[in-house]
Amino acid sequence: MNRGPFIFIGVLIIVSLSWALTLVKPIQEAGNLQAIGIGNDRIPARLTGLAEQGRDVYQEQGCVNCHTQQTLALVGSDIERGWGERQSMPLDYIDQSPVFTGTNRVGPDLANVGVRRGEANWHYLHFYNPQITSAGSNMPPFDFLFETREIVGEPSDRALELPEGFRPAEGFEVVPTRDADALVAYMLGLSQAYEIEEAPTPEKLAFK
Amino acid sequence: MNLICNLFSSFFPNLESDGTHREREQNIDASVRFAVLGLIKGSVVWLLVVSLLGLIVSLKLHSPSYLSEYGWLTYGKAYPAFWNALVYGWLFNAGLACVAWIVARLGGRPIGNGGLLIIASGAWNIAVIIGLFGIFKGDQNPYRMLEFPVYVAPFLFAAFIGIGLWILLAFKARAYRSSFASQWYALAGVFSFLWIFTVAQVMIFCLPAQGVFQSVVAAWFGGNLLGLVVAPFAFAVIYYIIPKVLGQHIIGYGQSGIAFWSWILFASCSGLASLVNGPFPAWVASVGVVASFGLFLPLSVFTMQFVSSFLASFSRVWDTISARFAFYAVVAFIVSTVLLILGSLRGVQEVTQFSQFNDGVRYLFLVGFAGMAFTGMIYYMLPRLLNKELPNSSLADLQFWVQGLGIFTITVSLVAGGYAHGALLNGSDADTIAILFNTKGYLFLTSLGSVIFAFGNFAYAVSFVWILLSPRTEKEKSADLIKSAPELEYTHS
Ligand code: HEC
Repeated sequence: MNRGPFIFIGVLIIVSLSWALTLVKPIQEAGNLQAIGIGNDRIPARLTGLAEQGRDVYQEQGCVNCHTQQTLALVGSDIERGWGERQSMPLDYIDQSPVFTGTNRVGPDLANVGVRRGEANWHYLHFYNPQITSAGSNMPPFDFLFETREIVGEPSDRALELPEGFRPAEGFEVVPTRDADALVAYMLGLSQAYEIEEAPTPEKLAFK
Repeated sequence: MNLICNLFSSFFPNLESDGTHREREQNIDASVRFAVLGLIKGSVVWLLVVSLLGLIVSLKLHSPSYLSEYGWLTYGKAYPAFWNALVYGWLFNAGLACVAWIVARLGGRPIGNGGLLIIASGAWNIAVIIGLFGIFKGDQNPYRMLEFPVYVAPFLFAAFIGIGLWILLAFKARAYRSSFASQWYALAGVFSFLWIFTVAQVMIFCLPAQGVFQSVVAAWFGGNLLGLVVAPFAFAVIYYIIPKVLGQHIIGYGQSGIAFWSWILFASCSGLASLVNGPFPAWVASVGVVASFGLFLPLSVFTMQFVSSFLASFSRVWDTISARFAFYAVVAFIVSTVLLILGSLRGVQEVTQFSQFNDGVRYLFLVGFAGMAFTGMIYYMLPRLLNKELPNSSLADLQFWVQGLGIFTITVSLVAGGYAHGALLNGSDADTIAILFNTKGYLFLTSLGSVIFAFGNFAYAVSFVWILLSPRTEKEKSADLIKSAPELEYTHS
């Protein structure tokens, strides 16, 4: 193995085999899934326009570095924790590019966060400062997605109702920017609460 | 052994008829000095940036309001910025400097094309800077080690082609027909990066694969970046340093071929093990798990070769700064690879998946193994490139211990903390914040480790600037300060 070409070709063959076997083959086999049904019955469900924009904010802010979006039913305690009802499946992600499956769980899984946290106001307060809703959390505040401005005339009806200790100075109010609105819409839209026949659930696994 | 060595060098007497062996070495060094020093300078600057980012990241994890007024530095941006600066900034600069120099030295001839290497490495660093700004600006991709925005990818690619071409030409220009393991790894790292980077960019961004398959490609890329690019550069260094510094053969060098090919084979799939249990084809993850187990084969060959070579002249390890760094690197390599293999066991994965455990293993592999190996190599190269002695060797000593302690602390806190966190998350119904409180001690420990590591890096920077700026002593100006290195590496190939 004294020659450069020998090493080049050897490495090329090995890495290409790995590529063909573990990337090309599965993508050919299973990387061309179609949605099932149309309209409101479509599986997977579609996000609204605003929620789609929220995906961009999610990506920009790097939420994926602390949150996964994949419910595991085969192991772990995701189901007991109420993070989902079934295993996430490739079909759930066919509309998404990029996908936020993630690799780190500093915080909870968010694949179904819209189901368990359906209240917009909670998310606004949580993003403004997680200490309001979840004291002791290490999720960072995203207060820069909000605007603190002087109240001119009537206070805005969009202003956050902040508890003692988190309020801006007297005569100021905190209103969400469009990014915050989009992000909250995205959170509310995050759901895999439809049935996929092949998806393992605790019940199906118990029958096996 | 010495006999063989002498016999061998009588087959290859002075290749360039002009001058002594040492002069030939000096000519080679002179031909690459500017470019290699440039890469080393880049690596030291990046290391300081990395220390700062690493500290910020770990502080933010237990004190989320720290620096939270800077939106561009929120945890979700600082974290990928840290890892990318670590790999593409520090390790690539340092690794390429080592590899370029090793290939030139082993080739036995001065290398031309200096301009190519200088321009390409400059372009590489500019691309990395733009990539980091892209992350801060909000253009990151949600895939590990591919976070740099799509618009920097062509520049990274083009710059790396320049560097790779230089290394390839330097290899082709070698005076000896035979080649040594360090050269195989240098070439393998260069080829692999071009190939895996192309695959990842094309399959995720140009012609995106459907949904979760993008994550599969990203896991493949992330594993290969460690296993087929960074690790080979570090192996090149270890194979080079042992004979040169310890003045002895690599014991069991004949097995290097097996280690090389089996490492490439198994490392090329092992990254997929992280996909276990997720919404991905299960068999793909299983291939990753099997491949991770396969790493036991090259691991045992490497361990046998490196550890027994070190043990054979252990007293030297403590006398020579570069050998000590290399020794630390070898131990870190063994420990992190064992952890990587154990971490792919089903039972362990159930606990550690998605936890900081994996960050800890990656950290030890990248910083403890590759980073320390490159630093040791840089301490071997600097006196030769500059024809100066290290002005203050106790500072380098101090650096070794402080960096070593920092890396150890960070690894322990991430691995143990990740395990504890994962065990509570997957095996109890405690809520996320209660779990956080339970494992907060580890987060503080990571910050402590980051502070220690940053001090070590600062000592490194001082030591580096010192040798750069210190005037040459009379002795250094006149005599052959440095003995020519033994040519032990050729005897077996
Ligand atoms: C430093 C890591 C970190 C980052 C970055 C982060 N989070 Fe969190 N997140 C957490 C933690 C920890 C919790 C659990 C405690 C809490 O509710 O704050 C959490 C909770 C949540 C919850 C509530 C989930 C539930 O089931 O109660 C939502 C929604 C959420 N995060 C969304 C986001 C979004 C959107 C982003 C990006 C803009 C983000 N997070 C960034 C760590 C993080």
